[in-house]
Amino acid sequence: MTAPALSRRAPRWRAFLRRRTMLVAGLAILASFVLLALLAPWVAPSDPIFQDTTAKLLPPSLAHPMGTDNFGRDVLARVIWGARIDLQIAVIGVVFPFLIGTGVGTVAGFFGGWVDALFMRIIDVVLAFPFLVLMLSIITILGPGLGSFYIAMALVGWVSYARLIRAQILVLKTQDFAVAAQSLGFSRARIMFRHLLPNALAGSLVFVMSDAVLVLLNGAAISYLGLGVQPPLAEWGVMVAEAQGFITQAWWITLFPGLAIVTLAFGFSLTGDALADLLGVHE
Amino acid sequence: MSAQLEIRGLSVVYRDAGEERELLQDISLDLQRGEILGLVGESGSGKSLLCRTVIGLMPSRSLTMTAGTVTLDGVAIHDTDMAGLRGRRIGMIFQNPTSHLDPVMTIGKQIAEGLRHHKRLSAVAAKAEAIGLLRQVGFPDPGRAYGSYAHEFSGGMRQRAMIAVALACDPEILIADEPTTALDVTIQAQILRLLIELRDRRGLSIILITHDLGVVAQSCDRIAVMRAGRIVEEGEKRALLADPRHPYTRQLIDSHPTMTHAGDEPAPHPHDRKPIFEIDDLRVHFPAGGGFLTPKREFQALKGVSLRVWPGETVGIVGESGSGKSTLARAILGLTRITSGQVSFEGHVLTRDPKATLKHLHHGAAMVFQDPFNALNPRLTIGETLAEVLRTQGETPAAEIETRIGELLDMVGLERSYATRRPRSMSGGQCQRAGIARALAVNPRVIIADECVAALDVTIQAQIVALFRDLIARTGLTLIFIAHDLAIVRTLCERVVVMHHGAIVEEGPSARIFARPEQAYTAALIAAVPDIDPDRPLNGGQTTLQQESAT
Repeated sequence: MTAPALSRRAPRWRAFLRRRTMLVAGLAILASFVLLALLAPWVAPSDPIFQDTTAKLLPPSLAHPMGTDNFGRDVLARVIWGARIDLQIAVIGVVFPFLIGTGVGTVAGFFGGWVDALFMRIIDVVLAFPFLVLMLSIITILGPGLGSFYIAMALVGWVSYARLIRAQILVLKTQDFAVAAQSLGFSRARIMFRHLLPNALAGSLVFVMSDAVLVLLNGAAISYLGLGVQPPLAEWGVMVAEAQGFITQAWWITLFPGLAIVTLAFGFSLTGDALADLLGVHE
Repeated sequence: MSAQLEIRGLSVVYRDAGEERELLQDISLDLQRGEILGLVGESGSGKSLLCRTVIGLMPSRSLTMTAGTVTLDGVAIHDTDMAGLRGRRIGMIFQNPTSHLDPVMTIGKQIAEGLRHHKRLSAVAAKAEAIGLLRQVGFPDPGRAYGSYAHEFSGGMRQRAMIAVALACDPEILIADEPTTALDVTIQAQILRLLIELRDRRGLSIILITHDLGVVAQSCDRIAVMRAGRIVEEGEKRALLADPRHPYTRQLIDSHPTMTHAGDEPAPHPHDRKPIFEIDDLRVHFPAGGGFLTPKREFQALKGVSLRVWPGETVGIVGESGSGKSTLARAILGLTRITSGQVSFEGHVLTRDPKATLKHLHHGAAMVFQDPFNALNPRLTIGETLAEVLRTQGETPAAEIETRIGELLDMVGLERSYATRRPRSMSGGQCQRAGIARALAVNPRVIIADECVAALDVTIQAQIVALFRDLIARTGLTLIFIAHDLAIVRTLCERVVVMHHGAIVEEGPSARIFARPEQAYTAALIAAVPDIDPDRPLNGGQTTLQQESAT
């Protein structure tokens, strides 16, 4: 308003893109995986579980750009179909912990006292067990499968969100605008969910992105251990697990699904970092 | 005699992603040896940036000095080694001593560090010298202060410690950036007196940055007024204050609250009705430390306060920080737990029937807060904030909420387009107006304003005070105005309550309290307000430099 001298200004969208290279790159990676998953039936060169016994363990060629595996299945087709399951794992495996954790954290932070103490002790108990051991025991009890994996994720994963949100709420509830809301007679639910939570959310939204990476790797690890996705379904973790016996003869069966995991994880990380900048989480 | 520090044609430019702004424009300024120069202006005028540029501590990489020279005793600064200059020849102290002192290093060590680095003293000699410095800046027991940490001291003492750290390297020039803004008036008076004494004794030249003309009037020799990156006026203090040339300087002087405006004395209020607030022997204690094995301790924030507030009255509550003013405000609104005593609002007793009284309070009383940015939900637009209050109150039909928001914005002097803006895109003064609009949305009979102008620039302060005065005249509102700034209370309130250590020490009509205070504490508080008239000396607060002779 009172700036002494305003000179030139580059077009806004170009300046935005230049500053947000990370966001654009991250979103582009995520979008291409989503597109790949949606278009799998049309894009994939063949059926992912079709076994061609005459074409076992073929190296990458024009007919099979990523080669074939020990059952003669096309690796490219399996990687493309695998995107469906792995994206599902990343999204569902994050959404439920996020919702539960956010709710618990808000209530604990806002009410304090014994409510807070109770939830914090539960969190301590969950955190006292090694993450993977807890996951494995829950899945073993429920029986292997993706459904069990999601339930285990929801039961274990919410603690980080609860702690993140609670810490934010504790700070926010002493701020003047929260006191003002109280003095104006707003209901507790309104103060919690309309005034405090939206202001506390930025940090956990960023965490969602990096958490998606962890969940993805967890899903792959669980499937690798034979407790998640069951063969012959195409999932990247399962593919790596199945092919490990052939790693010296046929590197392509493990390399390409592995690369897919890394690339998707990278996409999530980039988006998360860019969101952190955009939402001013570091400030 | 040539100036000790010469700034010629200095310009600083901010560049970031295709944006370019000139923050300082062609600034020329001299500082004579042993002079105190006051640099006055509102926040954002470039005062601090100018001083940081001089010592080469740019706050951001996007800033560059594009033109101009700075010379110290005839030698251009930016050619010589900056690290040597900083500290040794030019020292700096800041507004917030807490964040500029190392919390995990004792005060003494921080002083000794500078002495050893710049003067190459041995550890023992540095310690002796540091203790001497602590005595000079007024620590009653410098030996003990040497081994203490920053958090063990009060704000005023921390500011003294920071001055000692700056003095450790025996600088020729001291730059003080709003050194007293965060302090109470009585402490402010002590620190200003300390700066003047240091100048007299050590021949130190001082640049004092402040937004308060009263502070410069009391302590400086010369004044430079800055606005929007330029120096608009500069001159000897008496000449400048008596005959300001630039309209902005005139506006600053007129906004200063110690100026008495004719006809401002409010008429005494007839007490023919029942009091709106009745407070009897109110006590609020907070738990303070102690716990599992150690006995629990309590901090008594309010020690038996009794007060009556009448409808239509403007009551000022003044006192230093920690005197319990804000606790009182929160307790009577039911926002803080009451330990004992009674509060009643329009006949409803808060301690006896909290639910009904709170409901009554939510519809009859509203609060305005100190930090305008913090008091508004950053995610909501002003319109959303106001609409929410109107809906909760339930007195405005849904169809009329839109028009009511417009009316509220008109009342506080904001354009109606502000309804779609968020606090982040508004200035402090505009946010405070929005905060007042939110309070008015309740359609309250009483507004409690807690230090609501303390965070604002003087000219904005004057506008907000005028807004309150206007609202009172138009709506017959009752106002409880909490402030540490006595000058503002004097111009706005008809009755003053003075608080100290959680108790009321004196209360009465403004005119009487300010003319003939009965308590020594009130008198000290009033005398410590820096007056814009340089010939009305600062005489509040006891100087602690009596031990000086021991040095």
